[in-house]
Amino acid sequence: MAGLEKTKKEKNFWEAVQEYFVELGKALAGGNITTKLSTVFMGLGHIFNYQYVKGILVFAIQALFVAYLFVTGIPNLSKFDTLGTVKREAVFDPLTLQNTVNDYDNSFMILLSSVSTIFIIILFVLFWIANIKNIYKIQKKRSLNKHVNSIKEDIKDLVGKKFHLTLLSLPVLGVILMNIIPILILIAVAFTNYDQNHMPPNELFTWIGFRNFVKLFGGSVSSSFGYAFRKVLNWTFVWAFLATFTTFIGGILMAQLINSTVIKYKRFWRSLFVISIAVPQFVTLLLVRNFFADSGIVNSICASCGITKFLQDMGLVSRSITYIPFLTSPNWAKFMIVMINIWVGIPYQMLIATGVLMNIPKDQIEAAKIDRASPFQIFRNITLPYILFIQGPALISDFVRNINNFGVIYLLTQDVYVTTDQALANAHAKEVDLLVTWLFRLTQEYYDYKMASVIGIIVFIICSVFTIISFTRVMAGDREETYQ
Amino acid sequence: MAKKRRSPRISRSTKALRNMRVKRRIAKIFYPILLAILAAIWLIPILWLVVTAFSGYKGINISHFFPETWSFKNFGIILFQPDSVVQYMTWFKNTLIIATFTCIISTMFVIMVSYAFSCMRFRGRKGLMTLSLILNMFPGVLSMIAVYFILKSLGLTNSHLGMIIVYSASSGLGYLIVKGYMDTIPISLRESARIEGANEFVTMTKVIIPICKPIIVYQIIFSFLIPWGDFVLAKLMLNSGLSKDWTVAIGLYNMLDKSLINKYFSIFCAGGLIISVPISILFVMMQKFYIEGVSGGANKA
Repeated sequence: MAGLEKTKKEKNFWEAVQEYFVELGKALAGGNITTKLSTVFMGLGHIFNYQYVKGILVFAIQALFVAYLFVTGIPNLSKFDTLGTVKREAVFDPLTLQNTVNDYDNSFMILLSSVSTIFIIILFVLFWIANIKNIYKIQKKRSLNKHVNSIKEDIKDLVGKKFHLTLLSLPVLGVILMNIIPILILIAVAFTNYDQNHMPPNELFTWIGFRNFVKLFGGSVSSSFGYAFRKVLNWTFVWAFLATFTTFIGGILMAQLINSTVIKYKRFWRSLFVISIAVPQFVTLLLVRNFFADSGIVNSICASCGITKFLQDMGLVSRSITYIPFLTSPNWAKFMIVMINIWVGIPYQMLIATGVLMNIPKDQIEAAKIDRASPFQIFRNITLPYILFIQGPALISDFVRNINNFGVIYLLTQDVYVTTDQALANAHAKEVDLLVTWLFRLTQEYYDYKMASVIGIIVFIICSVFTIISFTRVMAGDREETYQ
Repeated sequence: MAKKRRSPRISRSTKALRNMRVKRRIAKIFYPILLAILAAIWLIPILWLVVTAFSGYKGINISHFFPETWSFKNFGIILFQPDSVVQYMTWFKNTLIIATFTCIISTMFVIMVSYAFSCMRFRGRKGLMTLSLILNMFPGVLSMIAVYFILKSLGLTNSHLGMIIVYSASSGLGYLIVKGYMDTIPISLRESARIEGANEFVTMTKVIIPICKPIIVYQIIFSFLIPWGDFVLAKLMLNSGLSKDWTVAIGLYNMLDKSLINKYFSIFCAGGLIISVPISILFVMMQKFYIEGVSGGANKA
């Protein structure tokens, strides 16, 4: 099987698409009258070829689709351009002593159903094409007097030759529902005025074009969003860079330290560090947050040891306060977040680096030792390049993950950190916010879905750029033989 | 494969040798001390969690690291005396239900996808794999508002079913490690099964899955742990404010609310400790596979 795949030349994407439509064209041109009729009544081709069960099934799918279109598809799609015009109104009915509600439009439901309808139409078209091709195939087989599969054989195929269809259908459906449709909705909401003043079902929202994007990018005086966006974006990148590299380098160094020949009981030491990541992150982070609270235990210890006073003399802590503002002043908070992230992240990276270090080519290191390379030289010229080679793509995806590292920032600063920058506060942002935590606060506390979606799209674009870089590197192919 | 290039002819000068020995002696003393200091830094917060959980008061002690009075009272409150804030057993039950179903569904999804991608050849396989790799790199946090809207319109927020869907629906994307493991199984095994007359379904259940047991154990533990550690999605989806709907993570987070922290901090520690013990054990079990999976996956890429 593997051999067969190798001999077949890999088709590129456009050739495959071309072939797909050429086949369709052939089927439409070369089909006989039943094949042509089944472009309208989809089961006909099967029924004329004595595949009654299959024909009825296909016809049922078509009927369901048409019914869906008329019941929910078309009514919603027709309102897609305005997202609804009839506002919800409740009228008190004195006879029944109840409120009667008019037949109102729910903008969000219209948006959601429209997107799903478009999706279903696309799926149906694909199904329709596959059906035509299938019928044409049967017609050709019949004219050559070849065997045509019965329904029993078709079902058998679903656990045999075509088992992948059975296997993949549910997971793919899940991904469409929970990944693809949400992403499409997110994109759509960014072009509407969906916010606190336009909340369905009581209010309607509608399309407003690029106004939200202008609000975010244009530094107009009226909105502080532009200012907040630049600040938050800046910190997001600084954070992602610092978080990725400190933990990466730290993890390698720690793995090296534990692997060093003078250390005994390696497993014991390793598990000591693993304990700290085995405890769920939200527990440790919330704990550490109280550990470093303004009136927390570290502060009382620092005060009694005179560290607070020392820092005040150094000018690192303002004299007007009697504590170290670990998580409450902008610069201290940023510093502490990075440090705490090192604490959280190094054990993970240490585990990964340990795994990578185990596979490092020993002969190169031995050769270097014979040539009297110092341990640092060996690390610098052999170990590090090797790890970077293996971990390069993972490093980029770590960077992307850190851009979206919601947990660390949110758990450490939510309810604790209060911004003093009025412009930031107007946009509901804080100095320590990442784009994602800002987005989360906008939706959770201020119901500003339109701006949150715009931020979501931007994060999305940033992530995709880095993902594609990482992906092309992963797929670059024959690189793997460098170390073989 | 590994060529022994060491040659006996190379002799080191005694001076360099002595120099090395001194360095080694320094390392012998210095490295363990450094490691012990690092270990202490990493364990102090965990130690604080443990001692606070066993302290004799409910709130937060800001002047002493070790409590002055010790007791099991906090555990008693958590396990046997639920009040309006602490409903630990209910949360535990909720999380357990969600985790169990998530675990079953995602493990099945992952095995199904891995088998299809690893053991079968069909049109569009490469394209689907590429697409899933790209989709998997996008963090779920991004589309979470839209997921929330969809579940809300289906009336599934604040329900177990909704949470299970959120955690497991797109789990098929995380197939890389299991597929990598399946890729190492010789084709001859599957071919002989086919000659014996087994169809793909039988080959999968009777031949491949038994061989993949260790990596499936990893997958089971991994997906079981997701709901216990997740905070973001649960916070978004379970927003009714009724503490009986919550998972452990949300419940514990709520205890640290400004108005509650002075009464509940030690109880938070006790609760955190209770779930940390089983999770740590599972995590350490998983750790072995984690190293192998990650380094193996990186090699294959």
